[in-house]
Amino acid sequence: MKIRKSKKNVPVRQAETKQKKGVSQWSIAWRRFKKNKAALAGLVIIGAIVFMAIFSPLIARYPLNYLASLKEEGKIRMPPSARYIFGTDYVGRDVFSQIVYGAGNVLYVGFGAAAIAMSLAIVIGLISGYIGGIVDNLLMRITEIFLVIPFLLILLVFLKVATTLAPSGVGGLSTVTLMIGLFSWAANARIIRGEVLRVKQNEYIEASMSLGASKWRIMFRHVLPNVLHVVIVLTTLQIATAILVEAAVSFLGFGDPNSITWGQQLQGASEAVKEAWWEGVFPGLFITLLVLGFSLLGNGLRDALDPRLRE
Amino acid sequence: MTNELLKIENLKTYFDTWAGVVKAVDGVSLNVKQGETLGLVGESGSGKSVTALSILRIVPRPGKIVDGRILYKGESLLEKKENEMQKIRGKEIAYIFQDPATSLNPVFSIADQLVEIIRHHQNLSKQEALERAIDLFKLVEIPDPEVKIWNYPHQLSGGMKQRIAVARALSCQPSLLLADEPTTNLDVTIQAQILELMKNLKKKLGMSMILITHDMGVVAGVADRISVLYAGRVCESASARTIFYNPKHPYTVALLTAVPNLAIKREKLKVIPGTIPNLIEPPSGCRFHPRCEYAQPACSQEVPPLVEIEPEHYVACLRAKEIDVKSPLRAE
Repeated sequence: MKIRKSKKNVPVRQAETKQKKGVSQWSIAWRRFKKNKAALAGLVIIGAIVFMAIFSPLIARYPLNYLASLKEEGKIRMPPSARYIFGTDYVGRDVFSQIVYGAGNVLYVGFGAAAIAMSLAIVIGLISGYIGGIVDNLLMRITEIFLVIPFLLILLVFLKVATTLAPSGVGGLSTVTLMIGLFSWAANARIIRGEVLRVKQNEYIEASMSLGASKWRIMFRHVLPNVLHVVIVLTTLQIATAILVEAAVSFLGFGDPNSITWGQQLQGASEAVKEAWWEGVFPGLFITLLVLGFSLLGNGLRDALDPRLRE
Repeated sequence: MTNELLKIENLKTYFDTWAGVVKAVDGVSLNVKQGETLGLVGESGSGKSVTALSILRIVPRPGKIVDGRILYKGESLLEKKENEMQKIRGKEIAYIFQDPATSLNPVFSIADQLVEIIRHHQNLSKQEALERAIDLFKLVEIPDPEVKIWNYPHQLSGGMKQRIAVARALSCQPSLLLADEPTTNLDVTIQAQILELMKNLKKKLGMSMILITHDMGVVAGVADRISVLYAGRVCESASARTIFYNPKHPYTVALLTAVPNLAIKREKLKVIPGTIPNLIEPPSGCRFHPRCEYAQPACSQEVPPLVEIEPEHYVACLRAKEIDVKSPLRAE
């Protein structure tokens, strides 16, 4: 009996020493995020579309750009049926299959453009907010220039120039992504700068200065993690915006005609909205769904990460 | 003179604001000997903190050190390059801040923060640095160091956080510790504990300390010598005993009188009339003269130099020798 008791005690003690990790702010945020149904729904939507993008050849019913109804039945713009659940488009491609193939491109533009925009916004926001003075003044004036120019118009002009100057390849999806990224950092940079100004006031920044940390170390090791919650929220919203902008650009005919995206599908559908509603409604629905997903996720993250909303 | 660790001569730190130049520190001279605790006392706005920040050259913008010399172990700190200063900060001279609640980074565990500093200044592996951090926790008498070290700042109490701030300051065994009102934001029992801890550690590790406070009670128990600051200048500097029992500057006396004391029965607590002067246009001559009961016309004309009126007792008052001021603590 006695031996048994002592044996039992051993794992208990080990368990006690093993749970030494403290509760970080991230785990607190995750706990709160899990309670938010809308945010989880957003995550599910995004997850489903990412899944669709990864396994597109398995999910799609026809090969990429296969002129299904034209080749098999000699018809284009066939309405939804068991065979073509979302109908077929102006050259006879299966709308559903094209949506599935487009998912990857749409996400590529969304994540890519957001990555570019947010990297710029973080660096500019951090330097501007932390260094201050003339540097801040200069960077913020540049930011304001980017804020006042009519974004979509300039974007279209740049894309047109890019495609006409070097028609082969350069006007591809990556160019669109890059352009969207380069023109959408400004508002985010301003918000991050404001956050940096707030964090900078804290004594732990002065403390790390007093302990011999350099400017850059403080900026990226101590200030950045403390504004990361804002960066995360802005990133999700930026992804949603980039997806919408790409759709708009493609719809207006300035996108990459060689890559299938939902915006491209919308453009094809625009000629016959009355006759073939399915051609535009379904890609449009997917755009809405994905953007909604990111917005829900962004809102959920904001609520979960905002220290002021802590109950 | 060889045992002098830090010597500040005529330090001037000004803040260039839109309203004018704020002369926060205007000609402060101090020295700290090896193993000694210097109490830096004064009202808020007298330049105590700015003096300490100037030593490490981390005065916040728009503050600037415009004049003076700071000699640390015989080397001039004001002539050092920024990257040389970074090696001194934390390693040679460490700083303890006033507010333990905000002086730790909320997004990292204590272990992460301590390991970062230790590895920044010493060439140690992560594991070695972690062991060193746990040793530090033991040094500042935190129970359960192996568990507590993984906590995040929000999981700890104020007293605990200040102990950690002390541990962090000591992490690289500095020769000089600048403690900027380390107990102001703590409640009284914790204050006493932290002060006792710092006193013991100072002895144990043989370092020097500058203790900044506005609380005469705090310096009384800890400081060997005291410098009294008023409006950016030193007005009296002597051993703690002398400051308390034989002060010569009217301001020091006024400061002592304003301290509540159970031994002295008084109806009302005495206050110093007026407020600390505007540091953009400070009073001419002796800066204390508008509030001084012994002031004479000459006091507003001439800047009183800091003179040694008896061995190791410096006073900046024109009338130090004529007036007969008495410490309230000598009321018997």
